[in-house]
Order: sequence, then structure tokens, then C-alpha cells
Amino acid sequence: MKRLTILILLLALPAFIFAGGQKEAAKTTGPQTVTITVWARANNVEHWRAEAATPAAEALNEELKKEGKSITVEVKPVYDNTPWGQYKNKFTMAADAGEGPDIICSGHEDVPVWAQAGYIMPLADSVSQIQGMYPQFNDVIDSLWNAGMWNGKIWAVPQDTEARPMFFSKTNLKKLGWTDAQIKGLTEKINNGQFTLDDLIKTAKTAIKKGVVKPGYGFWHRPRKGGDFMQFYYSYGGRLYDPAKDKLVLDKNALFKWYKFQRECVTSGITPKNYIGTEWKIWHDTVAHNNALFWNGGIWQWADWKTNYLNGDESILFKNVGYALIPSGVRGVKGNTLSHPLVYMVTTEKASGHKNRDLVVRLLALMTTKDINTKHALESTHLGILKSQMKYKPYLNAKFLSSVTYMLNSNWYQPNNSYYSQWFDIVWNGMSAAENGEKTPEAAADSVVKQMKVELGDNVIIK
Amino acid sequence: MSLKDTRYFNLRRNKLGTETEKIEKIKTGSLDWFWFLFPSLLLIVLFFFLPVLITLFVSGTNMSSSTGFHAWKWIGLSNYHKIAIHPETPKHLWLTVKYVAVTLVFFNVGMALVVSLITTHIARGAGFFFRALWLLPRITPTVIYVMMWKFLGANAPYGVFNQLIIQPLGLTPQDWVPAASFLFIVLVNGYIGASFGMIIFTSAIEAIPKDIMIASLVDGASFFQRVRYVILPYIRWPLLFVTTYQTLSLMTSFEQIMVLTDGEFNTEVWSLWAYHKALQNYWGNFQWGFGNALAAILVVIGIVLGIIYMRYFKFDELVQEPKIESL
Repeated sequence: MKRLTILILLLALPAFIFAGGQKEAAKTTGPQTVTITVWARANNVEHWRAEAATPAAEALNEELKKEGKSITVEVKPVYDNTPWGQYKNKFTMAADAGEGPDIICSGHEDVPVWAQAGYIMPLADSVSQIQGMYPQFNDVIDSLWNAGMWNGKIWAVPQDTEARPMFFSKTNLKKLGWTDAQIKGLTEKINNGQFTLDDLIKTAKTAIKKGVVKPGYGFWHRPRKGGDFMQFYYSYGGRLYDPAKDKLVLDKNALFKWYKFQRECVTSGITPKNYIGTEWKIWHDTVAHNNALFWNGGIWQWADWKTNYLNGDESILFKNVGYALIPSGVRGVKGNTLSHPLVYMVTTEKASGHKNRDLVVRLLALMTTKDINTKHALESTHLGILKSQMKYKPYLNAKFLSSVTYMLNSNWYQPNNSYYSQWFDIVWNGMSAAENGEKTPEAAADSVVKQMKVELGDNVIIK
Repeated sequence: MSLKDTRYFNLRRNKLGTETEKIEKIKTGSLDWFWFLFPSLLLIVLFFFLPVLITLFVSGTNMSSSTGFHAWKWIGLSNYHKIAIHPETPKHLWLTVKYVAVTLVFFNVGMALVVSLITTHIARGAGFFFRALWLLPRITPTVIYVMMWKFLGANAPYGVFNQLIIQPLGLTPQDWVPAASFLFIVLVNGYIGASFGMIIFTSAIEAIPKDIMIASLVDGASFFQRVRYVILPYIRWPLLFVTTYQTLSLMTSFEQIMVLTDGEFNTEVWSLWAYHKALQNYWGNFQWGFGNALAAILVVIGIVLGIIYMRYFKFDELVQEPKIESL
């Protein structure tokens, strides 16, 4: 009996140790301090995604003081540079436990997933409604609201956007024998569909043959998984989404042509064998130092190269690097570029464990100003999201950003559909297998179609 | 009363008094054995049985990031049906079988045995030194250890292999991790896995009675004969344990592969496939139900393999009282 008693007490001990104390009762009168947490996935040049909350909180506190309200807002900006999957996993677990942040900055594609899970709240029923809420929201470029729209409502506020160009080495093209006029005209030719992906392969092969670049350095596409690859599928006429039916789409013909292109890059020798998986540092070092002829990436990498690989000297980049839309796979068809707007979403009371959602939206409006957004745009080379930035001197003075803004006329977004992540994974695995030679492009495309039917069923239209 | 009970009573005679009292104690159903085992039982229930039950339950649902933990629906065996007809299932299964078999045979059991045999037959200090070297991969943090392998095989002008071996020989440098991905995942895991068996086998070999070993030497047995006829029979139990444990460990482990290749270049073993589906997705929609179904299949395979191993190694015979022991 004695031993049984001791055992029961030992088993009950953890309950006393881990039992939390009573939460403090909410103060209903007197001064209040409201803490608002903002999470963002960002590296050292993108810190403004989270830290925008700090000056916004100062502005909000001043407003509240003028209104005579005894509320003080404190903010906790948190940014980390873990891979996207891990970042979203962290948020999912936290939100489901009721310990999520109040504002989460993430890709627009997370809107349908997190909205369905009840982690984020709708902000407005329409674009006009959200534009009428705060003047800062009215300043957002109209078309960008599409990125935050799902199921007819607005769920997110744009934080930034970007374009994903095809970069090329002007220096190496000159070594190849191109004139200055030809090099200058390449951007226009790509944009107009007069220089296609086939022309890219031919040019890169010639450059290797003439010793301008080393074998395998003709075309260095993105080295790891990412949405950029969809641009090549798009270049061959592939589309991802049918908005009328709200279903994902897979175009078999475009898929096969894209896979064939990726494989041809390797068999023609312009891209190294077994290239996918190359470390990011190696890729940045190679392209920033002009060792490849063509490479595709994102405009935000310009700041990365300048700051982390070229000792802050942007003039080297302007001297050596040109950029254009992603060439089409079909002659005469305009080039394209993918934009992946990051958006701010406000979590629900349940997901964050906090009330004061109105105050959070108000803070978000004050984070969406041309001063703060321009700081982020300049430091990280992302595109601005506000109409007023197009006339804002610090933004206009940014030579690189001004020169790529036109790409927004040819951009497109990945779909806001909760099955997109599975669609993308299947298509990516197929592409990787095709490029590496594990499967022929045709076999890879066939396998993708079969997997889509099993995993997505009626949620995808296969053309 | 069995031989076991008699021996128990012989040991406990002083404490428990007469034999009659001891027999009475047994008959009234003493729960001493239960309380001794309770801490371990609790851990096994909490960290094995309960998770298995949860895994089986979740595998019958459509739980994902978009349903959250509250808006899921029961879908029965649909996830298992999806696995059965999935075009990638044979590929993941075959890769897992190949990876487990090769790593087990050549490293986790094979190399472990070789290293323990050699280090127990050389000078004690030297043996200790080499065993300590073999422990280094196991005690090095996973990310650092795998990064070392990545940069061993990295593309030119980086990469130790390329700089010191490939290029001086006039061969074409490349990124060797994707080029020889299967070899790399075997090596990366094998160098860690070998140390576990090495420790167990070394202890077992050193526990073999010295007079048996000396007798075999006197009888003129060669090293290989000693290994085959004396050492291996004596270490059957550790062999069973290491083989079973390492098979299950290799089947369920994926962290080194994840850091090394993240499943690219045809290295996505079954456990990593389950992890990717359930807990890692580039665009963030985690398929918990489907991932749990993949994991549940692994549990079943593990249990079946455990039973097969125990039959093959004659587990019953190994745990019987040795016939030569007397009372």
C-alpha cells in the first residue's frame, strides 16, 4: 500500500510542475499594453518585412495618444531565414496551438491553405472595401490585391513583389563577338519573342565552343526547388489555373516541351550534369563573378550579390550584367516573368490567442507606407507595391528597380489554390528526374500525369 | 514448479523465510515484476504504442494544413488505396530495400564486425584509438557531418575530391553527390551506423571466456577458424540485436539523407517520403493523413521484419536457460 501511494504521488508530480499558473485577468480599465507579434521569413537584407512594425507602432501610439486612448502598442518583430517549408511548418504548429503571431508575412499561395484551416481572418469583402478602410490600403497598386484574394474575399495585404528575370553576362557576350548594339538589343528581342529558349541554348553552346565560358557554364538556372521553374512551363504555353472553374490545370504538351528543354540544357553541355542541388553559395559566387553566360533568378538577388559578394559595388553588376524577361519557347510570343508577392496576413483570435484584431489591422496599415516599403525595396531589391512610390524620389533614384518595373506588365502569379503545393511537388519531381536523366522527358511527363490523377483527382484539369 | 521459480527462491531464501512462505507469495500474485518494469513500460506506451495508435488514426483521415486539426474528415482506407496505386510507390519501396540491405550488410553489421574483430586482436591501446576514431561520425552534429560530405563531393572549383583527386588525374570534375547519390547516402549513414555495432560486438567479443580462446589457440585454430567456430557462435545474441535494431533504424531514419540530398537524385527513401508529405512542403500544405499512412506501413513492415529476424536467429533458444548450467 505504501509503495502504491509513493508511486501515485510520483506519477502526479509532473502535473504540479507543469501546471501553468492562472493567466492574468484582462484589464478592462486603465492603461493597456498590447503586444503585437510579427513573423516574417527574411534574410539580412529583407529584415524590414518584420521590422516595419517598429516605426509603424511608434506612429500608431502617437495616433492613439491624440485620440485620448490609454493603449500602448508594443511590437515583437521576428524574422528568420529557414527554408520556406520549415517556416510554414513552424507557423502551422504555432497557429493550431493558439500561439501564432498576430501578423504573418508569407507567400500569397498560403492564403487558401491558412484561410481554410481558420488560421487567418478575412480583411474585407472586396478590393473597394479594403481600399476604403485606410488611405495606406488605397495606395496599394490595384492589381496586387489579386494576390491576396481567395473565395471572393481579401485575406492579405501585399508586402512586396518582384520579378524573376533572365540575367546574362554582357561581358561574356562581348567576348563572344556581340556588338554593344546587339547586347543592348537582346533585352528587347527577348521581351518581344525574337530570342527564344532555343536561341539561348544555341548561344550558350557557341560560347562554350569558343572558350568564352567553361563547359557547363552556359546556362545556370536556379539550382534548387522553386517557383522560377514554372516560367519555363509558361514559356511553352503551359497554364496553371482555370479561374472560372477554380481548378488547377496541367498542360501535357507544355510540360513535355519544358522537360525536354531542361534535359537539352544538360545534354548540350550548357548546364552541368547533376546540377540541381548545387549549394546556393556556390551559385551566387559563380554568377556574381561573371562566370556563367545566362542564369535566371530574382531581382532580390541583385542586392544579395552587391552586398554579400561584391563588397557593395553595384557598378560591377551594371557593367557586367544584363536582364530581361524569361524568353518564350515559341517564337513571336512575348517573354514572361513570375512574380511571387509576399503578403501580410492577420491571424484569427484563436490562432494567435489574442484579441484586438482591429488594432492589428490598423498597425498593418501603418506598415504599408511609402517610407517603410521603399526602405525594404531599396535594401532588398524588391519592387514597390504602392502607387505613390512610382513618384517617390528615393524609389525613382534606384536605378535597378526602375529599370525592371516594366516587367510587371508581363508578370503572372502562381494560383491561390490549396492543392497547388501538391501540384508543384509532383511537377518539380518530374522536372528533376527529366533533367538528371533518371527518366526521359516523355516518361517523366507521363509519370506526372499519373501522379496528378492519384493525388489530386478531380482537383486538376489535365489537358 | 519450474527450474526458474526454484532458482528465484534459492536467491530470495534469506529474505522471504521458509519455502512455504515463498510459494504462498507466488500464489497470491505478487506484482513486484510489474513495478520493476513500470518505468520502461510507461515510456514504451507513451512513446511507441500511443504514437502508433495516433498514426493509425490520422492515416484514416484527410487531415492536412488546409483542414487544420479540427476540420478533418474520416476517409477510411483511402490513403492506403492511394499508396497502393501511386506510381512512385514501387520506386520508393525498392530504393528503401536496397539502401537498408546495402548499408546493413556493408557497414552497420559488416564493417562493425570487421572493426571489432580487428581492434580486439591488436594492441589494446591501438584498438581503443581506432574505435574512438570510428565513433567520431556518430558524435559529430549531423549538419556539420553531412556538410563535410557535401563539400567533399562538391563541384569544381570547390570539393575536396575534385581538387585533390579528379582534376590532378585529368578527369572531368562534377558535383559527386548527385552523380553518385546512392553511394553517398550509404557512406554517410554507414560510417555512423558501424560504430553502434562496433561497440556491442567489441564488448561481446571481450566477454568471451579467455580459456575458450586460449584453448582454440592451443588447438591450432587460425584467426578465421577462431572467428567462425568460436567468436561468431558466442556473439549470436548481439548479432541478432544489432541486425534487428539497425534494420529498423535504417528503415526509419532519414535525417542524414534529408540534409545531404533532401530526397533529390532518386534518394527519397520511404521514411523521407512520409516526412516530406506530412511535414515538409515547399508551398506549405502538409498532408498529415497521407504522410501518416506512409509511416503506418513502415511500422507494419518493421514489426514483420522483427518477427522474421527473431525466428531466423532462433530467439527462443537464445533466451532459454543454458543446458550446461547446473543449479
